[in-house]
Formats: sequence, C-alpha cells, structure tokens
Amino acid sequence: MSLRHIWAVTRKEVNHIVRDRSTLILVLFTPTLVLLLMAYALTVDLKNIPVAVLDFDRSQTSQAFIQQITAGQDLDIYAYATSMDEINAMLMRGQIKAAVIIAPGFARDLQALKGIPLQVIIDGTEPESGNFAVEHIVQRAEEFIDDALTKQLRAQGIVIESLQPLDLRVQTWYNPDLKPRNALIPGLISMVLGFPALSVALTLAHEREHGTLEQLLATPITRAELLLGKIVPYIIVGLFNVIIIPLLSIAWFHISLNGSFLLFFGLSAIFMFSVLGMGMIVGVFMRTQAAALALSFLVLFFPGFFMTGIFFPLASMPEEARLEAMFLPGTHYALVTRGIFLPGVGMDVLWPYAVMMLGLGVVFMALAALFFRKKLA
Amino acid sequence: MPAIIETKNLIRDFKKTRAVDGLTLSIESGELFGLVGPDGAGKTTTLRLLAGLLDISEGDAAVLGFDLKEKAESIKPHIGYMAQQFSLYSELSVMENLQFFAELFDVESKDMAERTERLLTFAGLTEFKKRRAMNLSGGMQKKLALACTLIHEPQILLLDEPTTGVDPISRREFWNILTELHLRGTTIIVSTPYMDEADRCSRVGLMYAGKLVECDTPKNIREKLEGDVIEIQAGDWQKALETVSALGGVREAQTYGESIHLLVDSGERRLPEIERVLKKENLAYRSIRIAPARMEEAFISLIRKLEA
Repeated sequence: MSLRHIWAVTRKEVNHIVRDRSTLILVLFTPTLVLLLMAYALTVDLKNIPVAVLDFDRSQTSQAFIQQITAGQDLDIYAYATSMDEINAMLMRGQIKAAVIIAPGFARDLQALKGIPLQVIIDGTEPESGNFAVEHIVQRAEEFIDDALTKQLRAQGIVIESLQPLDLRVQTWYNPDLKPRNALIPGLISMVLGFPALSVALTLAHEREHGTLEQLLATPITRAELLLGKIVPYIIVGLFNVIIIPLLSIAWFHISLNGSFLLFFGLSAIFMFSVLGMGMIVGVFMRTQAAALALSFLVLFFPGFFMTGIFFPLASMPEEARLEAMFLPGTHYALVTRGIFLPGVGMDVLWPYAVMMLGLGVVFMALAALFFRKKLA
Repeated sequence: MPAIIETKNLIRDFKKTRAVDGLTLSIESGELFGLVGPDGAGKTTTLRLLAGLLDISEGDAAVLGFDLKEKAESIKPHIGYMAQQFSLYSELSVMENLQFFAELFDVESKDMAERTERLLTFAGLTEFKKRRAMNLSGGMQKKLALACTLIHEPQILLLDEPTTGVDPISRREFWNILTELHLRGTTIIVSTPYMDEADRCSRVGLMYAGKLVECDTPKNIREKLEGDVIEIQAGDWQKALETVSALGGVREAQTYGESIHLLVDSGERRLPEIERVLKKENLAYRSIRIAPARMEEAFISLIRKLEA
C-alpha cells in the first residue's frame, strides 16, 4: 500500500471537484438543500380545510354546533349548501374536502338525549385532508355534546365534574410538543448524508466514460490504493456536512441537540465510511454514470426512504424487510441521530449501532475492492 | 536478441465477436513495430491485451517474460501505454498530469523536476506547462499523453494510433520523437492507419479480422506486391481513370490527387498498351512511368486479396 499513490489520486480528485464550481457547490451543499426542502415539504401542518355545511335543522342549536366545529383555523366554511346536489358539485370541483350534513331534528334529539344523526362526507382522493377534517369534527362534536349534556344535567340539579370516566393524562417525553419536525429532521439527516455516497458511485463511472480509467489501469496502482484515494475527498465532504447540518437544524429549525455533539460527529464519521462503501460498490459494478445514478437511487435512497424507519416505523414492517433494513447503514444511523438529538442518549445505548455501521463499512469496502478488477472489460 | 513480447495463438472474445483470433507474434527488444490493418481488425484489442488491460480468452502471451494471464500487474511499471482516445485529466494542467503519472509510476522525488522538464522540452510543451489539458490542441494533447507514458522511462511503449486526428506537422514531430526513442533502444509497438508511418517502422504486422496475415520489414512487404505500379499524370484524370481501369492486366486503380496509380501484372508489358489506348482516346497526359510500389499499394492489394 503506497501512501504516495493514494495521495496522488486524492489530490487529483479534489482538483476535479474544486475546479468546476458547479460540481463543488453540488457536492458540498446538496445535503443541506435536500434537508431544507424535505423538512418543509414533509411537515406541512394541515389547516384551513374547506368544508361545506348543509343544515336541515336550522335551529339555534345547530347554528351553535356549526360555530363550534368551524372555530379556529383548522376548517374553513366554504359555503352553506342548500341541497345535496350542491355539495356533490362542490366536491366534484374540489372546492371542498368535506361536507357536514345536519339532519332535521338535531336540536330536538339532543334535547331528548337520543342518538343524534350527523353525517360527514369526505373526499377520498385526498385522504389526509379528509381524515383530518373527520377527526376534527368528531372531537368538536363530542365536546359540544358533553357541554350540552352537562348543562341539561345541571338544570335537573345533577352536578358532575366531567362525563369522561377515564382521567387520562398523557406525558410526551423527549419531544413534548410532539412536533413532527423534531422527530423527522434527525431522521432526514441520515438520509441526506447519503449524498456524498452518490458522488463516489459516479466517480469511477466518470473515469470510465471519459477514458481516463484506461490510462489509470495501465499504471502500477493497486485496486485498494485507487479506491481509497477516491473515497478520501468524499469523507472530507461528508464530515463538512456532518458539521453544518446539525448547525442548520439547531439554528434554523430550532431543534435542540440534547446529546453530545462530539459523539454525534464520531458516529457520523463511521456512518460516512459505511455509506461511502455502499456507493463504491455501486461505482464498481456500473459502467456509465447514468446507470450508477439509477442504481444509487435504488439502493441508497429508495430503501433509505422506506426501510430505515425514518417515515414508517420499523416495528410495523414485515420481518424480511426488517432484516434487510439491518444491512443498510441508514437504519442504524437514523436511530443514532434520533437518539442523540431527542433523548440525548450516549454510547452506552448506541454502541450496537456503531458496531453494526463499522462492520457494514468494512464489508462494503472489502467487497468493492474484491469486485473491482484492473481490466477494461 | 531475445523476444521481449511473445504471443502464441492469442485469442480474445467479446460477447459476439472474436476481436483477436489466434495471434502469434514475437517482438524483439529494440524493435519499432508497426501494427496496421483496417478498422476493426483487432489492433486496439491486441495492444490492450499486451498492456494487461484485458483478460486473455485463450492462448498465451508474455511481456518481459511475465505471463500476462498470471502476472499482468508485474509488467505495468515497465510499459508505457497510450490509449487511442485522449485519456488524460482535462481539468488538470500539463504539469499536474505529468506529476500525477510520475507519482503513480513511483518516479523518485529527486528525479521528478529534471525528468518533467526534459519531457516538456522533448514534447515542446514547456511554455504550456500551466495550461489545463482541455485547452490544448489535439496535437499537443497527443504529445502530452506521450510524455505521460514516458515519465517512468519504460522499456516498452504501446501506442494506439497516436497520430490519428493530428495535423501533418505535429504528426512529423511526433514521429521524430518516436524515432529518437527507437534509436535509444526503447521497444515500440505502434498501431497506425497511415502507411507512410508504417514505412518508418523496422517491422510491420498486418492484421485482418483478428489475424496477423503478414509480418515483415516494410521493404519485404513492398516486394511481396505482385506486379508493378504505373503512375500516370493526366489532364482529364477522371476520364483517363475510367478508360484505363477497364484494361486487361489492371488489378487496381487508385488516385492520388491528380495522379493515377495502376497496379498491373507486368509493367513492361502493360505500359505500351496503356499509352496506346490513351493516345487513341485523345486523352492528354503529362507523364507515364513505372513507379516504385509504396506501402499503401501493397496494403490495399493485400487487403483486397483477403476480402475476395
């Protein structure tokens, strides 16, 4: 192993990145840009859902009910409909996402403590908005009915504190406001730090396409020297991102880093090593940059999205998928980032993930060196 | 002299084609060996095999005594290989490219400055040493590529069409460099589509459909041409060409600018006949003579014979 050979390749690679400004910016800041984009795109708070109301009862009670469910910013009344046909037309045009239909006799039935008929129609083509509206309406309706009943009982001289028999007190630890962003961003970090691996996957194919690999293979450089020399610049790029991305998360998204930054940095370096190894394998097998790009998305980002537990809890996946996820460095790193950011855990909890990432990295690198041949075809 | 490159029934298959088909070749130390043949004859594959860049499908090949099937890596410090397409780093400068390959070929740091300077002078690139490779002309790029393959003073040079796409002056300069290296004792194997370049080699191998169909000195190859060449300088050369190419005994008719080269079975017999026909047809000509055969004629007639 000649350090001089490795250093020569590294220097050449750095020159290649630095001398083309667009390459430089892309390589350095893609993770940051993607993090910003995804953090905003994926954590939109639902509000101002347009709904229509069709009130067949037209009583004071039904008016009060409508006011109760539309108070606040969650639902907006788009129109007061006068017939089902109108509601149908508004749903078809996408003007409303839900409709509330109050049957005749609403006030009377409430007074008589009978089953109160209430119909909600939602637009199933946009389940998120529809479900959100239903949840909201059901909650407000329950409150409304609770209130009405309590008042009625009080009028009859019965005073009770609450109609709810269960005294439920939920405590949310680590993320007290249950802000999705607080949980999502540490997970996203593990995904966006995969981008330097994409660059690594492309670099060998780039040399193949430009014919420079032919000249390189005619020199006495060994396979390991070549691969190591090529990976070093991207480790540096990765570590640069490991520093700026937490800073961005803290300064911009106000996410508190509860654990040790040093531990985060160290474990991130191990993650970089293993994910770059994965990129190298892609680069070794793919002959063109287009193919390397496609395969990178297939093995680096696609499973990163669905299998590492960033968006879908690992526990609810089938066993095969969970097993497969164990071989993705991102799965372990997502647990590391969430662990260090939110509860602020230390190495006593995180060591198994560190061991897994390190092990995967060594295996990936070895496989890349094994399958890379100093031949043209 | 012992053979420095030796192949025996060398075969290289690609998915659908056999690019090199049973090549047996022996090249001695110090030769300037020219590899010629039509496009697709297997010249590039042969050079890549000899440089250890491709696996051998069947047969044997040894370079500097190292079996290429077992020890392809062992030859790399001793050979300089120059690919047909430009394969240096275009975003690096002339000097950086040289240094990069010097480091990969383990040129000692103390020799570095002296050697790069000498090669830059040799290739006429001294004043361009800070220029990025992408901004060099085609001819300069070729000379830089050659300089990079010479940086470790290899015993064997494998050059794949080093002058294709280069202007005539650069081409001549390039060959002057090769001749100088040849005189210093470097073994050179060069593929070329140009017959005048083949003429400058000490030995020429003609490849056709993956096989070595002829291998001899340029002089002997020229002599193998059966028949003679008659050169005619005619006024209306197109009409003259039409007329004479149909005559008996004419095997080939080629044009070089305005002069017509006829390959005939016997010059002495056919020259008077052709003169007679030209006069009869009222075709004016400035001169008609039996000319010495050139590599080009020999090459074309050999290929035509193989194609038939």
